[in-house]
Amino acid sequence: MKTLEIMPWMTEETNETTEADKLHVPEYIQFIALAVLKQYDFSVRCMDVAATKPKKGGAIWKIETSEGPKSLKLLHRRPPRSIFSLGAQEYLCQQKARVPAIVKTNTGEKCVLAGGKIWFVAEWIESLTPAPKDLDGAKKLCYGLGEFHRLSKGYRPPSNAESASRVGNWEKKYRKILLKMDWFRHIAQAYHDLPASESMLRAVEYFEKQAQKALERLQNSKYRELARYGDLHWGLAHQDYGWSNGQLGKGSVWIIDLDGVAYDLPIRDLRKFISGMMIDAGHWDPETLRELIKAYHEANPLSKELYDLLLIDLSLPDEFYKNVKDVVYDPESFLNEETAEMLEEMIRTDASKWPALEEIANDWKDVKKKK
Amino acid sequence: MKVLMICTEKLPVPAIKGGAIQTYISGVLPHLSSHHEITVLGIEDPSLKNEEMSGGVRYVRIPGKRFELYKNGVVNFLENHENSFDIIHIFNRPRLVLPVRSASGNARIILSMHNDMFNPEKIPYEEAVRVVSEVERIVTVSNYVGNVIKSLYPQAAPKLKTIYSGVDTDRFLPGSHKNMERFRNKIRKKYGLENKTVILYAGRLSHNKGADRLIRALPLLAKKYDDLALVVIGSNWFSENHLTDFVAYIRALAKRQPVPVITTGFIHPDEIHQWFAAADLFVCTSVWQEPLARVHYEAMAAGLPIVTTARGGNPEVIMEGKNGLVVKEPEDPANFAEAISKLLDHKETMKKMGETNRQLAVSCYKWERVAADILSVWHNHPMNVKSNTAATIPRFSASAKAPEQPVHIPPPSSGTPGARKGQSDSGNQPQ
Repeated sequence: MKTLEIMPWMTEETNETTEADKLHVPEYIQFIALAVLKQYDFSVRCMDVAATKPKKGGAIWKIETSEGPKSLKLLHRRPPRSIFSLGAQEYLCQQKARVPAIVKTNTGEKCVLAGGKIWFVAEWIESLTPAPKDLDGAKKLCYGLGEFHRLSKGYRPPSNAESASRVGNWEKKYRKILLKMDWFRHIAQAYHDLPASESMLRAVEYFEKQAQKALERLQNSKYRELARYGDLHWGLAHQDYGWSNGQLGKGSVWIIDLDGVAYDLPIRDLRKFISGMMIDAGHWDPETLRELIKAYHEANPLSKELYDLLLIDLSLPDEFYKNVKDVVYDPESFLNEETAEMLEEMIRTDASKWPALEEIANDWKDVKKKK
Repeated sequence: MKVLMICTEKLPVPAIKGGAIQTYISGVLPHLSSHHEITVLGIEDPSLKNEEMSGGVRYVRIPGKRFELYKNGVVNFLENHENSFDIIHIFNRPRLVLPVRSASGNARIILSMHNDMFNPEKIPYEEAVRVVSEVERIVTVSNYVGNVIKSLYPQAAPKLKTIYSGVDTDRFLPGSHKNMERFRNKIRKKYGLENKTVILYAGRLSHNKGADRLIRALPLLAKKYDDLALVVIGSNWFSENHLTDFVAYIRALAKRQPVPVITTGFIHPDEIHQWFAAADLFVCTSVWQEPLARVHYEAMAAGLPIVTTARGGNPEVIMEGKNGLVVKEPEDPANFAEAISKLLDHKETMKKMGETNRQLAVSCYKWERVAADILSVWHNHPMNVKSNTAATIPRFSASAKAPEQPVHIPPPSSGTPGARKGQSDSGNQPQ
């Protein structure tokens, strides 16, 4: 087992996957999983693959054990990076955040290193159900997110962890989006004969200006001052929060799949959640925005500076970026009719974004009053 | 003297996985080890022994990859070898200097700088100040690197010394050389490059290195020339072949070019010279402030004319029009098209540039010369030196800013590169 290195079992270029593929884990990894489970005090009755990241080399199993249901996770990241996230999960548990507790090995360790990757077992929260996809459900998730952020403050990683922070990286991220807009343009030009090429060029033209403006606003904001407060002050952002990683359970919102957590200004998660929801709805509604921000603010109060930063981050065309960034991998299949329609829809939806943001631009006092 | 050379925590020495610093150390070791008793401390690798004597050099290899882990290993090693070394030469890790100092007593510490590790985001100001005061000399791979350090820490100025890197001129040879013909022919046949004028890019594939600009220049070039081909060698990161967004991007662009584009992925360091021999001109496209890419020396040794960019230290080895051309604004692909056209339109000049480059490589950029410069640093204990005398940097371009000045191109020399008079070692201001 010593020489076995766990590798992704699908390449980035792989496009379509069947349902069966999604739950497939190579045999050698299943073999390692069994060896890992031997290092725990419980006995395992059955185990089923619950989710995989085949292109990255990660997997989750649900295991039925003599001590009740649990999850076994193979984390795809570099071990020291995974140790950072595991430390965070343990810390959040100690702070009474609703995250699954980590089950220790029979030697009292949080995790096992096998196949060159970190594995760990956590409690499986049976009662979890997705929040209803309505305003009420979304508000609950925002409140839960605020709690998570508040309780994560002060986390110090173990000494053998690789610290992960995005606190100081915002400008870099904005620049990256701007840079890649240029790539998208050149790809669309080189592949000008495909169904979505025209729409892509139009969309890049449209969203690039927004990205440029957002970067300028970020540079002129209080961002750098805020970033200087440092990692411990801000605590952790989940980095992949949404309707599946925040779910309703006993008590309220439980937050799962913490392996990507990193120090960050907390509103990054809130912004992603909000903009994702607006795009899904096909419309930016100022009242919904207000309600969501308020729900968050009740659990983790936003300062004026953070609120302003939230508005700047909302102005970044990140949803567009996320939806088209894979064009570089296979332009010929990506730039199809469906993508053309998606791009036109994004531009249409975007029209309602700016009046909505305008309307809540000076809301901060109100947010505070309501608290 | 007993000398300890401490490598970085990233890649192993010898340079089995490539890497500029690792190549540099591997290149000079044979010439240093005949003068001194040398120990090389670096990171372990599955294909290398953790301790060995090879070529008269003692290698000790410890766990690395992560800086903290490596630092602890270095300190641990020094604590077990107290007072064993006269000189400790640290490569590109100013953050190792203070731990090394406290674990090594009175050894003289020399620091070699290959890039921006002195920048504020890489080392806290207070620590950097102490590092500068603690080290005897700071050797840099270009004036550019030294000037950046000087601008951040002016007190470093008297300790700075540029030693340009080198190349194995017996391995990197022009395609017309008898040792190379078969490689050239084999590669050109295999990739359908016979009867083509082959433009070569060699380097990591990342936005900073700008290979995309060169690919985007191809449609412009294709309008004028019908025999072009572009070869892109390199991968996302040393010895890895991951399909990053950038790699995917340039492959996607390459697929739609009117000119054939060969992307090879990572080429083992042992084989790179074959690709240089197969090419007709070399282009470096860096859009970032690069320390000074060593591919320039390899292209020189392979007798290729060079197009490079006015970024960082790169133009320091180019004499505009003599051995290559410098693209002032590399952001715009049209500028590469223009520079390359200038060469292709004047085949005679292009040929001459290639010959000049080969001469330069042999006379100025052999590893013997680099080693001689390092030895001069080791031998010139500051207690014995009145002023900052230095050294023998054989260069023919006075500074990046003034490439137009008339320049003396040193003749090829077969002997040890020795003192060449009248040249300060770091451009306009002696450092």
